[in-house]
Amino acid sequence: MKVLRRCFIRMFRRRAASATIVALSALTFVAASREQASGAGSRATTLRIAFNADNPLLTSLDPFQVYWIEHRVVLRNVVESLTDQDPATGKIIPWLAESWETGADGASYLFKLREGVTFSNGEPLDAEAVKTAFDADKAFLATSPGAFGAAFLEGYDHAEVIDPHRIRIVLSKPNAGFLQATSTTTLAILAPESYKRSAKERSLGAIIGTGPFVLASYTPDVGLELVRRKGYGWASHAVDNGGEAYLDRIEVRYVPEASVRNGQFTLGETDILWPRDPFSEADIRVFKGKGAAIASRSLPGPAYNLYPNVAAGRPLADPGLRKALQKSIDRTSYARTVYSDDFPVVQGVLDATTPYFKSEKEKLAYDPEGAARLLEAAGWTLGKDRYRYKNGKRLSLLYVLWTKETAGDLLLQDQLRKVGIELKLSFLVPGEMITALSAGKYDLVALYLTRGDPIALQSVLDPRFAPTGSRAAARNVFPPEIGPAAEKLFDAGLVATRGDDRARAYGELQDLLIDNNLAFPLFERVWQTALTGKVSGFAWTAEGFATLSSVRRTP
Amino acid sequence: MVDDSRSELSTARLRLAAGRAALGRSLRPSLRGAERLGHLLRRPGLVLSLAILAFVFVAAAAPTLLTSYDPYLTVPADRLAPPGAEHWFGADEIGRDLFARIVHGSSLSVQASSIAVGIAFSAGLVLGVIAGFAGGWTDAAIMRFIDVLLALPSLLLSLAIITAIGFGTIPVAVAVGVGIMPGFARTTRSEVLRVKTLPYVEAARLGGASRARTLLRHILPNSCGPVIVLATLDFGVAIIAVAGLSFLGFGAAPPAAEWGTLIANGRNFLVTAPWLSLIPGLFVMAVVLAANHIARTLEDGRP
Amino acid sequence: MTRYLLSRTAQALLVLLGAYTIAYLILYLLPGDPLAILLNAAGRDIDALSPAEIAEARRFYGLDGTPLERYFELLWNALHGDFGFSASKNAPVAQLILERLPQTLALGGLAVAFSIVEGVGFGYLAASVRSPVLARFLARLPAFGVSLPSFWLGLLLIHLFAFTLGWLPAAGNDGFRSLILPAFTLSLYSAAIYAQLLIRGLEAASREPFIVTAYAKGLTRGEVQFRHAFRNAALPIVTLVGLQIGNTFSGAVLIETVFTRTGVGRLAEEAVLRQDIPVVLAVVTLSAAGFVFINLLVDLLYPILDPRIDHASKG
Repeated sequence: MKVLRRCFIRMFRRRAASATIVALSALTFVAASREQASGAGSRATTLRIAFNADNPLLTSLDPFQVYWIEHRVVLRNVVESLTDQDPATGKIIPWLAESWETGADGASYLFKLREGVTFSNGEPLDAEAVKTAFDADKAFLATSPGAFGAAFLEGYDHAEVIDPHRIRIVLSKPNAGFLQATSTTTLAILAPESYKRSAKERSLGAIIGTGPFVLASYTPDVGLELVRRKGYGWASHAVDNGGEAYLDRIEVRYVPEASVRNGQFTLGETDILWPRDPFSEADIRVFKGKGAAIASRSLPGPAYNLYPNVAAGRPLADPGLRKALQKSIDRTSYARTVYSDDFPVVQGVLDATTPYFKSEKEKLAYDPEGAARLLEAAGWTLGKDRYRYKNGKRLSLLYVLWTKETAGDLLLQDQLRKVGIELKLSFLVPGEMITALSAGKYDLVALYLTRGDPIALQSVLDPRFAPTGSRAAARNVFPPEIGPAAEKLFDAGLVATRGDDRARAYGELQDLLIDNNLAFPLFERVWQTALTGKVSGFAWTAEGFATLSSVRRTP
Repeated sequence: MVDDSRSELSTARLRLAAGRAALGRSLRPSLRGAERLGHLLRRPGLVLSLAILAFVFVAAAAPTLLTSYDPYLTVPADRLAPPGAEHWFGADEIGRDLFARIVHGSSLSVQASSIAVGIAFSAGLVLGVIAGFAGGWTDAAIMRFIDVLLALPSLLLSLAIITAIGFGTIPVAVAVGVGIMPGFARTTRSEVLRVKTLPYVEAARLGGASRARTLLRHILPNSCGPVIVLATLDFGVAIIAVAGLSFLGFGAAPPAAEWGTLIANGRNFLVTAPWLSLIPGLFVMAVVLAANHIARTLEDGRP
Repeated sequence: MTRYLLSRTAQALLVLLGAYTIAYLILYLLPGDPLAILLNAAGRDIDALSPAEIAEARRFYGLDGTPLERYFELLWNALHGDFGFSASKNAPVAQLILERLPQTLALGGLAVAFSIVEGVGFGYLAASVRSPVLARFLARLPAFGVSLPSFWLGLLLIHLFAFTLGWLPAAGNDGFRSLILPAFTLSLYSAAIYAQLLIRGLEAASREPFIVTAYAKGLTRGEVQFRHAFRNAALPIVTLVGLQIGNTFSGAVLIETVFTRTGVGRLAEEAVLRQDIPVVLAVVTLSAAGFVFINLLVDLLYPILDPRIDHASKG
């Protein structure tokens, strides 16, 4: 028996071991050669950023199509826009355009372009290039009307090249958000060469811009790489470093697993940890223990709001029930529990960094007793299971989710349970979501959009402007008696050319949404990053992205 | 037998190859009560396994007997509380008691696994008996169908079924059941083939017993032993498969949570609160280990 | 032998065709409207389209015609290496799979190597210890390996080796180091089964009558055990290794998700979340093809490994 074993093992050891060695050495070789390849640039300063997953629904880096905010961070450093938005004031300031004049009718803009700006492929940025960019975007919209850029380009008719450095953009109707739109990555100016490529090639990384970094490679779902643009020197005044970037390379990785992402950061394998969701208190404690700093900024645009389906026959068609629902949400506890102790409590329909933001704090106070009284009065009585019933029917709301439920969704579910409202959470895959929204088979849905202008509300809630995917949801937000008033306010905000008029229109719109309980803010959409002690000079842009040319990393 | 083993494309083949002799033996007549108890006490592993399964089934049937906590109640002050006297297994990121969630999660997990094994058992038994008893073309057709199912790795087959019929406990259970059904069909068939040729069964048939009577009175009772062993073994397999699919997020709608969902939710806190995913995982392992141990005991023919 | 080879190959191809057919039936005939799903993955709403546009889109996605016509068209294309287009990933399915295949194959290959080394090593260890208590303990240990949910084991290993000890990277797919933890996780289940089998096989082999006969024939001890006993114990392992390889894609779904590796398994998982039917169909078909091929190979190898199996005589 013993000999048998020995014999067996000897034979097996020889065969298995040699097979294993072959397999292992082959793999090691692959690994080694790859390390060598990347080792060449390792003496240069490289910044490593870890984001959440790549966009699972649309593989695209094309600025005009991209809504994924992680991509917009990257693009902000590769492609530039006619104007910039001051992160402190929200004002539009010069960038690729030194100055501009708005036509008296609010439907045309004359931009004077900065001289000496070139794309990374050597082509000059001139009026022709700008016209090519705008016309290409318009042409793209003709084939894909649902593209993200539609709301930004709204009203664009044509561009007139006056001389190599002056261009007039003519709109078919006034668009008060247009100037801000020219500051976004969405209407960034790419090199004419990029527009000669197909939209699909642009989506996969054929993006040539004038920015401080050049997109060197993009592997969907894995990551991308930026390298410094030599000879750059035309940043806007909002950026500290006007010249070439301090960093040589930036390595971006998509890491969908939160635990892995956080672990890599604590091990020092990542310099900037930049997930979509804000950190929890426990995470922040661990990061700070490792000497990391946390940077936060509210993303401008609507807050994280749930919007009701008020179609006839759905429970939230009842204004009293909507009011009770508004009172049942404990926003302070939400911010503290799901995120952290100094996390801002949402105060209104818009995030606080949005121009014309209006606080509705008092109207959003937590008042479970008030909610209970309203429900009792409306005939919803508590049953044995602590849920409320009327005519034998349980008070139940269906909340449809675009992604897997978060801790916040579950907390909200329990908050509503405490006043006797059942909140059903249902994660729907995209196909099911479209069907549920257009058939009106839901009660609450979250919609949002990041843009440094309150016009974002219109893109989300005005059925005439909302993207195809959520247009049905926008249609279901307004009861017939309020719809026309809302539409009037949307239009007033869109055509107002004076700041005061816009402030009034958007202020009234925010009041209208909260007074009628047509939006249920849950939390301020704060974007947080954790930075290792080696990183300095990190600064947010107005839209919550970052200018990485000012960032330094000590070895 | 050799020919048989060559044409099989199956996991059942392994089970048969590994323990064909043991599986072939039907369960021995049981010992008397007192003796059995004595045997049991000398086998602490078996006692522990039975206790774990008993706990799980009680948890599934009447969770409130085991915990007074509401599994869905959020207590923000207790978020990420470590295991202790207050919360035996700690509390999750919004302050829900993990022990209560595991106990209440048993009902969904046991339900899903039982449905899966039930589907596999009944469909596999019917197909296997028909194939083994009828023989000829029917047998060939059924076995080729089983071969085809076996060629689809069960997790991917499950993913396809879930893509088509949606998320939830029942779809997951159906998907897992279809995935493990072929093993039952194969084992049943080979048992029926074996029993069919036993002298007394042949004698009964020659003696004029009807086909149905032979099947019901002689073949089925004598061939179900190994199938029951396989069912116990596959209960463990089903628990892991259901946990895997709910880990991927294809399980029950929240706040209800299967064990796999608990592991999945806890993994975001692997650095700060590792127990949130490690404890539910240990629990799953204990249950599977218990089911396997009992299956092995049955297989060895000892009480 | 040639006849056996041909019939066995034909049988394998039929099984593969059957697997494809079942996957097609599940994916294209069970759900609501595949067109609405595919359109939405491309960012378009079916309700917003005119009947003409819908017909156009139906043609574009190959959804026109009866289910039977569609089935044959998809099959015909698949035979030519065209598995359709993934609207959400904006790329041909075949290209997506080819890009991710090396990652999964490297993972699977290393896992098989690990499994054999661990399983055989452990089997030998358990068989060679002298203390009966220790031997019994070791003989039971593989039962734990079989009962561990792989995704949970992965998390445990990440916690231990990446976060606590900092020896190995927790995730990603660059280089050999990032492959060790996932491959080990994937290997453990099979390793435990190999170990169990070896422990039983070695014991059983020493009791087999042919060993006694072989002694009686005057062969030396070494020859006897080498020729008969080991082959007897190793045969089921060959089958099992075949199955393990065939199940690589299946196992990779969970492992690649836990370890954030971009392989075919995670592609499948994401495709389910997006209802990307062409991708799911392609991955299922591919894994069935791998399974059938490896098993065919094992079956053809059997007669070489075990002279007792002689197909020629059976025709």
